[in-house]
Amino acid sequence: MRNGKLTAAAIAASTGLLLSACGSGSSSEEGFSAPVAENPSFEQGTTMAEYADSGEITIGTKKDQPLFGLENLNGEMQGFDVAIGEIIAGKLGIPADKINWKETPSKNRELYIEQGKVDMVVATYTINDKRAERVTFAGPYYEAGQDLMVKQSNDSITGPESLRDSEAKVCSARGSTPSERIREYIDPSRLVLFDTYSKCADALRNGQAQAVTTDNSILMGLVSENENQFKVVGNTFSEEPYGIGITKGDTKFCQFINDSLRTAAENGTYQEAWNSSAGKVSEKTPELPELQSCG
Amino acid sequence: MTEVSTDTPMIRVSAVDKYFGSLHVLKDINLEIPRGQVVVVLGPSGSGKSTLCRVLNRLETIDSGAVAVDGVPLPEEGRALAELRADVGMVFQQFNLFAHKSIIDNVTLGPIKVRKLGKDEAREEGMRLLRRVGIADQAEKYPAQLSGGQQQRAAIARALAMRPKVMLFDEPTSALDPEMVNEVLEVMAGLADEGMTMLVVSHEMGFARRAAHRVLFMADGEVVEDSSPETFFDSPGSERAKDFLGKILTH
Amino acid sequence: MQVLIDNYHLYLRGLGTTLQICLYAGLLTLVVGTFIAGCRVAPLTPLRAFGTAWVTVFRNCPLAVVLFFMAFGIPALGINASYFVFGTIGLALYTSAFVCEAIRSGINAVSPGQAEAARSVGLGFGQTLRLVILPQAVRSIIPPLGSVMIAMIKNSAIAGAFGIGGDLYAVGIRQSSAQGEEIIPVLLGVALGYLIITIPAGLLLGYVERKVAIAR
Ligand SMILES: Nc1ncnc2c1ncn2[C@@H]1O[C@H](COP(=O)(O)OP(=O)(O)OP(=O)(O)O)[C@@H](O)[C@H]1O
Ligand SMILES: [Mg+2]
Repeated sequence: MRNGKLTAAAIAASTGLLLSACGSGSSSEEGFSAPVAENPSFEQGTTMAEYADSGEITIGTKKDQPLFGLENLNGEMQGFDVAIGEIIAGKLGIPADKINWKETPSKNRELYIEQGKVDMVVATYTINDKRAERVTFAGPYYEAGQDLMVKQSNDSITGPESLRDSEAKVCSARGSTPSERIREYIDPSRLVLFDTYSKCADALRNGQAQAVTTDNSILMGLVSENENQFKVVGNTFSEEPYGIGITKGDTKFCQFINDSLRTAAENGTYQEAWNSSAGKVSEKTPELPELQSCG
Repeated sequence: MTEVSTDTPMIRVSAVDKYFGSLHVLKDINLEIPRGQVVVVLGPSGSGKSTLCRVLNRLETIDSGAVAVDGVPLPEEGRALAELRADVGMVFQQFNLFAHKSIIDNVTLGPIKVRKLGKDEAREEGMRLLRRVGIADQAEKYPAQLSGGQQQRAAIARALAMRPKVMLFDEPTSALDPEMVNEVLEVMAGLADEGMTMLVVSHEMGFARRAAHRVLFMADGEVVEDSSPETFFDSPGSERAKDFLGKILTH
Repeated sequence: MQVLIDNYHLYLRGLGTTLQICLYAGLLTLVVGTFIAGCRVAPLTPLRAFGTAWVTVFRNCPLAVVLFFMAFGIPALGINASYFVFGTIGLALYTSAFVCEAIRSGINAVSPGQAEAARSVGLGFGQTLRLVILPQAVRSIIPPLGSVMIAMIKNSAIAGAFGIGGDLYAVGIRQSSAQGEEIIPVLLGVALGYLIITIPAGLLLGYVERKVAIAR
């Protein structure tokens, strides 16, 4: 039952890919621009008031993560994380060109927030307890999950349970959480580890591996970089709620961000943000996940 | 065929030139050594004696001309050349015994690896040769444990073990302490008496007078005199030879 | 330190994998390196040119590039094998350039008279090398060769990064990065693992060195 549904999803996914690939004549810049509030007013002394008054904000994001946070060759920022950042900045009355994008690699995220190098972090940032000890999370704004990427022609791998039977070799980045989780599903000798996912994509391309596993967000990026070659299976087997990291204990700012997300989901800006970015390789537009309380 | 081969000189060197860079070391050398002949080569340092010797088994290549041993032209580097070298014994000034092998192993290495003799047979033959050169009691020692004279005699035994057609000696006694020179010359004279074809680069006049059939005097890469020992030592033809003899005699 | 005790089996398996890589790569690189050294001193110009080219390529290419070529270039040509095979061969080829140079310098340290004497008794090039030159060269080959081998053992960590995984270093990365263990004890465990391989290797080399020194 379940498998049938998955295959259908996979076919749908690949069709979506084909369609988007066929329509790839259109510019990637098309579409999204977040609404900017005119002279919003905030309670004196809040973080919101501070940023709104300064008219500027520094947002930490990735710059090498296609579809989420990517700096293109013209120095323009693209991706879902970027769009989410623009939505929140817009609510503060800050237009996109007043946002300072600060490249924030995974291992620096807590540090940059603590040191005030960034005002908030939107960078495929999974909410977990350990991290929540050092920063406050708004959101989540997206529910990512570990998934599998296979060659487009591959119909036998439909999810993690199908890996053992097909004796597939699965590639992941060493030291990553997904590389640990996948060990539940396959024999350790079938696990191929590289230091980057792009090497995994190469291994998949030349047949040295049959699947690549990590968060679907990253996999979608790899799919978009390798047109018409790969697809995401679309059967997540972990929950990676992406949150927006801000200074520990800034409850009011957290609530403001959550309100902004909720509004965006209601008026369609959230969906537009998705469709202009990750939506290009995924036919399913996600719903805004249930937001956590700001504590 | 056998008749022809008795006429063929053991060594024939025709119009050989050899350069080291721009240095013309051998100049149009022509030489025939019939089988059984013992030739002593002498001349001043740098005149090309060693080079001539080494050209005969292609330890040095030549730039033009031809060298033939027992009627066979020297082949290019490879198996055929190795086979030919096995027929040409060579004794060096510095002995060059294999430092990591015992004396008997030095002597049997070639017969076993090149002549494909059995170990026992090679050893028996090797011991016979060591007895002949008078160092059978040193068979199990390593080269470094022997005196220079003993080492050189071992080196001669090593060359003889290959049953060579001709033996080349390049100043076999000049690295030896004077009291050891004779023991080596004795062995060489014995070989000469048995009819071995030999080319000996040496300034040992006693040996030349006693054992040589012929003396070559080289200077500046040329064979300047080619005569019997008596003629050469008693009435040399050229000024250079006189000069040279004067120097080694007062020595 | 508790990490080491709790996860000793992971470290042991990592040690095993690293040992395997090193053993196979070590044997292969000795064979290839000796062969290339033979080429470099051969009397034939094409062989010498081949040897020189080999050393130039593999000594001047970063190991990661060689491994990259093995892991991605070879499969792109349609030849597939496990990453263990690719990584081990890549490591061996890279190291062979250094093995070759260690052997060649040892060969050059043997007096040329030895080779001349060997050739005059009719030994061929290969026999001369094998029976006369190399046995005398080992003494001066062993110390630099030892350094090359120990460098190779450490380089196996880089080979491990090209798809092999499960080697000592990979175990360290996995524990500290994916399982969130304290980095210092984890890395101490990894370092200890390499020492368990390199120190006996060094002792063995010292032993061989003394052995060949006596046999003269
Ligand atoms: N491998 C070499 N490379 C360059 N020059 C060489 C080489 N071998 C010999 N020569 C030069 O060639 C010339 C002849 O050398 P050779 O050794 O044949 O002389 P020789 O008559 O044997 O002298 P000696 O009595 O000193 O042994 C000398 O000038 C020598 O310096
Ligand atoms: Mg000389």
